[in-house]
Amino acid sequence: MPYHEFECSTCIPERKQHAVVKAPGEDLTSCLPLGYLNTIPGSISERGCAYCGAKHVIGTPMKDVIHISHGPIGCTYDTWQTKRYISDNGNFQLRYTFATDVREKHIVFGAEKLLKQNIIEAFKAHPDIKRMTIYQTCATALIGDDIDAIAGEVMEEMPDVDIFVCNSPGFAGPSQSGGHHKINIAWVNNKVGTVEPEITSDYVINYVGEYNIQGDQEVMLDFFKRMGIQVLSTFTGNGKYDDLRAMHRAHLNVLECARSAEYICNELRVRYGIPRLDIDGFGFEPLSASLRKIGLFFGIEDRAQAIIDEETRKWKPALDWYKERLKGKKVCLWPGGSKLWHWANVIEEEMGVRVVSVYTKFGHQGDMEKGIARCSEGALAIDDPNELEGLEALERLKPDVIFTGKRPGEVAKKVGVPYLNAHAYHNGPYKGYEGWVRFARDIYNAIYSPIHQLASLDISKDPIPTSHGFMTPEMISDAGLDEAVRASDVLRPYTGKADIITPLREKTDYPEFPRRQSAAE
Amino acid sequence: MTCEFKIKDRVGTINPIFTCQPAGAQYASIGIKDCIGIVHGGQGCVMFVRLLISQHLKESFEIASSSVHEDGAVFGALDRVEQAVDVLLMRYPHVKVVPIITTCSTEVIGDDVDGVITKLQEELLDVKYPDREVHLIPIHTPSFVGSMVSGYDVAVRDFVKHFSKKGKPSLKINLITGWVNPGDVKELKHLLAAMEVEANVLFEIESFDSPLMPDGSAVSHGSTTIADLEDTANAQGTIALNRYEGGAAAKWLQKRWDVPAVIGPTPIGIRNTDTFLQNVKAMTGHPIPDSLVRERGIAIDAITDLTHMFLADKRVAIYGNPDLVLGLAEYCLDLEMKPVLLLLGDENAGYAEDPRIKALQENVSHDMEIVYNADLFELEQRLKDGLELDLIMGHSKGRFVSMDYKVPMLRVGFPTYDRAGLYRYPVVGYAGATWLAEQMANTIFSDMEYKNNREWILNMW
Repeated sequence: MPYHEFECSTCIPERKQHAVVKAPGEDLTSCLPLGYLNTIPGSISERGCAYCGAKHVIGTPMKDVIHISHGPIGCTYDTWQTKRYISDNGNFQLRYTFATDVREKHIVFGAEKLLKQNIIEAFKAHPDIKRMTIYQTCATALIGDDIDAIAGEVMEEMPDVDIFVCNSPGFAGPSQSGGHHKINIAWVNNKVGTVEPEITSDYVINYVGEYNIQGDQEVMLDFFKRMGIQVLSTFTGNGKYDDLRAMHRAHLNVLECARSAEYICNELRVRYGIPRLDIDGFGFEPLSASLRKIGLFFGIEDRAQAIIDEETRKWKPALDWYKERLKGKKVCLWPGGSKLWHWANVIEEEMGVRVVSVYTKFGHQGDMEKGIARCSEGALAIDDPNELEGLEALERLKPDVIFTGKRPGEVAKKVGVPYLNAHAYHNGPYKGYEGWVRFARDIYNAIYSPIHQLASLDISKDPIPTSHGFMTPEMISDAGLDEAVRASDVLRPYTGKADIITPLREKTDYPEFPRRQSAAE
Repeated sequence: MTCEFKIKDRVGTINPIFTCQPAGAQYASIGIKDCIGIVHGGQGCVMFVRLLISQHLKESFEIASSSVHEDGAVFGALDRVEQAVDVLLMRYPHVKVVPIITTCSTEVIGDDVDGVITKLQEELLDVKYPDREVHLIPIHTPSFVGSMVSGYDVAVRDFVKHFSKKGKPSLKINLITGWVNPGDVKELKHLLAAMEVEANVLFEIESFDSPLMPDGSAVSHGSTTIADLEDTANAQGTIALNRYEGGAAAKWLQKRWDVPAVIGPTPIGIRNTDTFLQNVKAMTGHPIPDSLVRERGIAIDAITDLTHMFLADKRVAIYGNPDLVLGLAEYCLDLEMKPVLLLLGDENAGYAEDPRIKALQENVSHDMEIVYNADLFELEQRLKDGLELDLIMGHSKGRFVSMDYKVPMLRVGFPTYDRAGLYRYPVVGYAGATWLAEQMANTIFSDMEYKNNREWILNMW
């Protein structure tokens, strides 16, 4: 068996089946770690809880909603201002967070009255907002408050408001993934089908599993609009509450993060007959294939192809500039869930790097199947990694860069490995053609940082190079580069603006496509 | 003119100022060397607190979870603690101190953490680790009681309770810093060194500001040792700088071991630093040296350049940890500023009796509000209703209020993740007084230029 046993984990033998090395000739029948099992207590895993999976990952990116957590203040405070899911309405969802502030007396006597007061107060504080989501927490789940009943009561008393309840306490499952599932199902059960949308196109989709990190959703919506596709709703980044109540009227669910949002797509297929199409917004080829697939579904491949041709022409020379300079660089691709398979193969193909390890904090075996299938031979795949295993892997693999979260990034920094934020991005968006070049640019900047080079110099013993007063990334990256590449007048580094999202918000010149007669009537 | 002291009139919290108790216990735990805490609850209670700390300090610290899942919530989760302790000890051979920090979920289900520690002592530590020094310490920090501030207070007290041991009388003093930054600890140690006073520093977190070494060997950790903690029983006295963060430990040491306690004042500003040095002098008999007279003079020289011309009458709102807020408010008054709004993020019965609050009520001659159980919406609401402010002081979570209402803000306290390196600078001592006055002035200066508000004043001063 190809299982990889970490030295630091020999004393917890059950960990052995959570890591594999994809050896030559191995396939998924033999090379697949266990996944989504209970965490080993005390192992210092990186996993979060089911409350955060529901509220923080999926619920809060909805932009026109009061997000209130029913519990003590900590859950609310801790999940506030730790993500970069922006919106085009002034980031209400980032700026405001609400806690019912459950105290000891409420634990003893119940907190339903407190909840109701909170709901009324919150609407009063934000009279323009008429939508609310309420998230259960460990404390209020255990005392058994009936949140649904209170929400129903308020909705009767205040007919202009609508409230969604998500019962996903922190302990509900091995990781945040449990909460993804719970909020998916709760939304389709309680809210889908309660609003009828206006249909303005012959081609209508929901964009699902997309959280608008640094504007990803807005980049992708631009493509859909250029194809004349109506996006009824986005689940949930930059998404509107009432749009998401109308998901049942789409012709197609276009699914990005299958880890966190496949459940709702599957339910929409079963209940409303809406097909599910999995796509990739990351990488030139996967994105092009995705746009083609959507075009093919609706019979508008030509519209997709026009975008693909235009964007590729515009951005490929920049991508290739970085690819030449990133060739062979070793990457640890250590994200939370879906990016391990979104990125594993395409960063090798399109940026020339080598993925030496993938891991997933809360992914299931299905994510590992996809991830390992897309990895090259020799890659180390780890499920639910813990602190010591991560360090051991860094020591063994000596990667040139690591894509992971903020805190694990600090661990990597100390052992001299630069990190890129895989969840929030450094300077995204990373979706779309231009976004993908920005990702390559960020990787390049991390690896070839002159400071990174200085970090490994021990001035007490190493010879100190005194020939230069400075270095640029290009002086480092281009030192061994082929002259033809260096002097190429086709390849060029990225020169886009820091903010590429504001212009998209102001853009109005989308093509008008005449609707088919029968459908329009 | 009145200084009103009152509770927020909404029951709910919009944009909280604090997180909950276990976070405070976790922040205290990382100050101890060879210590990894186990938080008994859901995984988010640890994952997000580690993230919060790493956002603030730009470093990573190890804290474990007992990873309570659904079965544990239904049937009790003590088996998760048992397993967590064993796994942690097996994999981290250097670990000696393991606080078991409870949360709302495990307090509600009623897990007997004290009982399981007794059991683990007999059945695990004595059997499997007989030659290893291991301390399992229960820390009860249900999230529905108090706040991160009281969680810190409880944890410091419980660490001291567990370790302090009567031995040879020592010439040291106990210095309980409260929830501070590495820069504060550095400054406090500098002041004590100038007075030739040795101290058990709880907690010695100067090392949180750790290097990136060429060989990749550096890790961030606290440096207070078990020996330091044991020796707290033998000190000449305890100075707890903060009433609400460490005060409980100081009182306990006085009661249990007759170690005289001086609680407060938080040495923010010149006056409170003077008092701190006087307290050290009274406790140890060591004189205040000329070098500190000179340092104080440098601070006062710098402040004098700023007070009358720039800081006088500036209206300030301050929110955050109570000792920090009250210390800053006192200092602002010495700088001729007008602290008009103080927001304390929790409900603490001690506030009503706090002499600093009483003194403000008795002496302040401008309109002032002190709101407890406050949230950041209290600040926003007042601005919306026309409150005029020249400056906000508080932590990063209030950044949007400052931006939305165009009031310049000086980041201070915990966490300050949206500004670089602030943990490195002290707010205490003479150096802290200088830093605060200059940063306040510079923050106001930038705002004057940004708004073209009499920015020409800065042409000449």
